[in-house]
Amino acid sequence: MRARVFVTLKTSVFDPQGTTVAEALHTLGYAAVKDVRQGKYFELDIDVRTPDEARRVASEAADKLLANPVIESYRIEVDAGAPEPVR
Amino acid sequence: MKFAVIVFPGSNCDHDAYHAARHVLGQEAVFVWHKDSSLQRADAVLLPGGFAHGDYLRTGAIARFSPIMQEVKRFAEAGGPVLGICNGFQVLLEAGLLPGAMLRNRNVRFQCEHVYVKVEHTDTPFTSNCLQGQRLRIPIAHGEGNYYAEPDVVEGLERGRQVIFRYVTDAGAVTPEANPNGSVNNIAGLCNEKRNVVALMPHPERACELAVGSADGLVLLESVVSSVRRGAFATA
Repeated sequence: MRARVFVTLKTSVFDPQGTTVAEALHTLGYAAVKDVRQGKYFELDIDVRTPDEARRVASEAADKLLANPVIESYRIEVDAGAPEPVR
Repeated sequence: MKFAVIVFPGSNCDHDAYHAARHVLGQEAVFVWHKDSSLQRADAVLLPGGFAHGDYLRTGAIARFSPIMQEVKRFAEAGGPVLGICNGFQVLLEAGLLPGAMLRNRNVRFQCEHVYVKVEHTDTPFTSNCLQGQRLRIPIAHGEGNYYAEPDVVEGLERGRQVIFRYVTDAGAVTPEANPNGSVNNIAGLCNEKRNVVALMPHPERACELAVGSADGLVLLESVVSSVRRGAFATA
């Protein structure tokens, strides 16, 4: 089971990197890009039977390690497809 | 007295801290590897600057899981004096020994320069020899020193007199221009509620001899020597 975890700074927290990227895009002429939030992306290969279990494990991992709850929030997506064979 | 300098893979100011304690102050000092489980009966713990575990994931995020951090926590809970410097500050935040988190510097640049900080409170083991309001000229060297906490947390820190160091101008004024990284309320350093765990982004250990441009940082280490001598922060 594959869980994807997207971690970004909370909307209430100033994102200096995102702001810098937005400014660079404006320099390139992309005036339509109003805001950029930069974050981190994790793919977790999890050996469990159901998407619910995968979501539970990923959520625990995000709470304990992948995100810092003081400044970051996260979102999880789970692929329900067949697990890849273990090599 | 005896200092324990914690060494993580990626620490790079551990020798500066050791040098200041051992050679400048003439105290006993030992390096303690992050996988060790004993602080070797030290009287004070220094968490040095650097890039512990490469700062992978987030600054200080992986260092929190190093075995020695369990001992540092126990030592801190028992009232032992702990000083986090730069990356050591970030480790203490991630370990939950101090509240808040560090964001990238507001200007997204690594800031490497001498700054002025004001000592706000002298009732900690690392500021007991300072004068209230004393200005110290010490260097910073960090990319992620933009201190952040929720507004109610910051209010609690101010009310609890836990903001120990603030970035100021050379005249001692708290202004946006004096703030090198965007930290809320110009916060450069904090202590915990019990006041025995202190941390700051500037590097006092790199300002302990005039030969390196400033000796203003020495007073922090002298303070803890005096505090330990007085038995003010004995851990039994």
